Amino acid sequence: MNKTILAALTMGLFSLQAYAADTVKIALTGPFTGGSAPMGVSMRDGAKLAIDEINRAGGIQVGARKMKIEVIERDDEAKNERGALIAQELASMDDLSGVIGTVNTGVVLAGDKYFQEKGLTKIITPAAGSASMTQWSKAGVKDLSIFRFSADDGIQASMVVEEAINRRLNKVAILHDSTNYGVSGRDDLLNQIKSQGNKLQVVATEKFNIGDKDMTAQLLKAKLSGAQAILIWGIGPEMAAVSNGMAKLSMKVPLIGGWTLSMSNYIDNAGKNGNGTMMPQTFIEDPITPKARSFIDSYHKAYGVTRIPSPMSAAQGYDAVYVFAAAVKQAKSTDTHKIKDALEDLKEPVKGVIATWKHPYSKWDPANEQTHEAFRRAQAVMGMVQDGRVVFANKTDRQRLMKSAGK
Amino acid sequence: MYTLLIVQLAVSGALMGMVYALIAYGFQLTFATSKSINFGQGELVMLSALFSLTLIDTGLPYWLVVPGGMLFGVVLGLFVERAGVRLALEQKSEGWILLTIILGLLGFSAAENIWGRDDRPFPTPIPSDPVHIFGIDVTPLELSVAIGVLAVMGLVELFKRKTLLGKAFEAVSADRDAAQLMGISATRTIQLSYGLSGLVAALAGILVAPITTVGPTMASVLILKAFSVAVVAGLDSGFGVVLIGLFLGALESLTSFYLGSGWREAPGLVLLILALAVRPNGVFGKASIRKV
Repeated sequence: MNKTILAALTMGLFSLQAYAADTVKIALTGPFTGGSAPMGVSMRDGAKLAIDEINRAGGIQVGARKMKIEVIERDDEAKNERGALIAQELASMDDLSGVIGTVNTGVVLAGDKYFQEKGLTKIITPAAGSASMTQWSKAGVKDLSIFRFSADDGIQASMVVEEAINRRLNKVAILHDSTNYGVSGRDDLLNQIKSQGNKLQVVATEKFNIGDKDMTAQLLKAKLSGAQAILIWGIGPEMAAVSNGMAKLSMKVPLIGGWTLSMSNYIDNAGKNGNGTMMPQTFIEDPITPKARSFIDSYHKAYGVTRIPSPMSAAQGYDAVYVFAAAVKQAKSTDTHKIKDALEDLKEPVKGVIATWKHPYSKWDPANEQTHEAFRRAQAVMGMVQDGRVVFANKTDRQRLMKSAGK
Repeated sequence: MYTLLIVQLAVSGALMGMVYALIAYGFQLTFATSKSINFGQGELVMLSALFSLTLIDTGLPYWLVVPGGMLFGVVLGLFVERAGVRLALEQKSEGWILLTIILGLLGFSAAENIWGRDDRPFPTPIPSDPVHIFGIDVTPLELSVAIGVLAVMGLVELFKRKTLLGKAFEAVSADRDAAQLMGISATRTIQLSYGLSGLVAALAGILVAPITTVGPTMASVLILKAFSVAVVAGLDSGFGVVLIGLFLGALESLTSFYLGSGWREAPGLVLLILALAVRPNGVFGKASIRKV
C-alpha cells in the first residue's frame, strides 16, 4: 500500500518537473492584503485574466513550440521588508522568466536592486512614484532589466496642474500626506506649476499624517486663503477624510489629485462627498470599445464582482502580461536576459485594453528614464468620481479614445 | 470672523477630544478598583466596532446594533479580566501588564483574519450634513459623539453613587482590603469594573466609527491620545478626563492651524511630559497616601 503511494508520488514529482520545463514562469507580486490591496488584487487578477486567455489559446509561441504560462504569486503586504525578501527569493530562482507587479514605490525601492543584480526582467505596474526609475538613472546604470508600465507621478502631476489651469482657476491649495509618496507628489506639483508657466498661485501648503481623520485645521487654512481648488497627494482613507471635512465646512471647490483617488477605499469612505473628485487614470471602467467591453465583462464574470476594485491596476496588469508575452515570443526563449533585449525593441504592436502598444520601450539610456517607461501623456485621461464609480471627467477624452480604437 | 475661526477649530477638535475622554474613562474604571489597566483597550474599541459593523451587515437596525455592540464589549472586558488580570492580581504580580498587551495583540490578529485589513465605512442613520450653530459648522454625527460620551459617563457615575453595587465599587476603590473585611467581594467588583470598561470602550468604538471608518488600526492613534488624557487628568479623576479630553482635542486642532499641521501631535506629548513632571498624579488626581 505504502509503496503504491510512494510510486504515485514520485511519478507525480517527475511529471511535475517535466511540466515545469515546458512553461514560461512569471512571478506576480504586490500587496494582496492590507490598505493597498485593492490595487494589488486588481493588478493580479487582471494579469491572470490575460494569462488564462493566453493559456487557453495554447500558450505563447516560443520558437518552434507553444508554452503555457505558469504563475508564481507573492504577497508583499505593501511592506518594504517583505518586498525585499520576496525579491531575493525570486532572484534566486533559476528558471524564472520575469516578474510583473508591485504597487508601492517603497517596495520597489527595497526590492528591485536584487532583480537588477541578477538581470531578471521586471515590469513594474502599477507603482507610479518617480523614484522607481530615477534611482537607476541617478546611479548611472548602463544596462537595466527593470521596466515600468504605469503613468508615473510626473505625468500625473502635470495632468492635475493642467486640469486646474483648464478650469480657469488661479489660487490653489496643496494638501499632501507626510509619507515619501505625499512629499514627492507635492514637489512634482510645485515643479509642474512652475514649468506650466506659473499660472497657478499656491496659497496654502498643508500636510496630514496617515491615520488622521480630522482635517478641519488644514481645510480652514485653505478656505481662508481663498483657494479655488485643492490639489492633493495621499492615499485613500485620509483623502476620504479630506472630502468629508470639506463637506462639513461647506467647501465646494474641486478636489484634484493623484490616481489614488480612484481607490475603492477613497470612493467608499467618502461616499457622496467624493462626487466630482478628479484624478488621472489610464483606464476607465466604461465599455467604450469592444476590447474594453470584453475585458470588463470577463473580469466581472471571473471574479464575481460588479465593480473592479481598481480598474486601472487591472487593465495595466492585463496589458503588461501581453507586452511581456510578446517579448517572450520575439526572444524565442524563456531566458530572462533575451526577453529583456526583446522588450527594449518590440517589433510587433501589442493590442491591449488601454492602447495598442507600439514599441513601448527602447534601449535603456541613463540620461533618459523614458526609454523604460511605456506610458506617455496620451495614454492617460482625467477620471472623475460619480456615485461610487470613476467616469470620464472630460467628454473629449472619451471621444478621443473611441475614435483611436475605431481606426 | 477671526474669533469664529478659533471657535470652529476648537469645537471640531474638542469633539474628537470627547472620544479620547471616553476611552480614558475606561482606563480609569479598572484602575480605580484594581490599580490595573488594560493595555489592549484600543483593541477592545476596535473589535467592538467591527462586531457592530457585522451586526449592521446582517440587517439589524441601528438602535439594536448599539446595545449589541456594547454587550460584546462587556463580554470582551470580562474575558480580559479573567484571562489576563485576575491571576496576576491574586499573586500580587504585575503580570497583567504583559498579559493585557498580549491579549490586545491577539485581538488585533484576530481582527485582521476575521474582518480583513481594510478600512471600511460604518453606516449610521445619524446625518453627516453640517448644521450651522452660532456661525460654526458641526455635523449631527459629531454632536452624537458628545452626547453619547456624556450620557454614558453620567450613567456610570450615577450607578456608582446611587446603587448598592456601585457603592461596593466605590468602597473597593477607596480601600480594597477594608472593603473585603466588610464582606464585599473584591474579585466580583474588579470583574464588574472590567465589564463596565469594556462597555465604554465599545460605545467609544461605535460612536467614533462613522467618523474614523472601521479597521484593525482604527484605535491605534486614539488609544495613545486617550492614554495621555488619562495620565494628564489623573487615573482617578472621574469627570476630569472630559475636561482634559476637550482641552487636548481643541489644542491639537489649534496647533495644527497656527504652528502647521506637522506639529499636531506635539501638544499632547508636551502636556504628558509636563503633567508627569509637575503633577505626577494628574491635574485632577488625588495624591494617594499609602499607609504601610
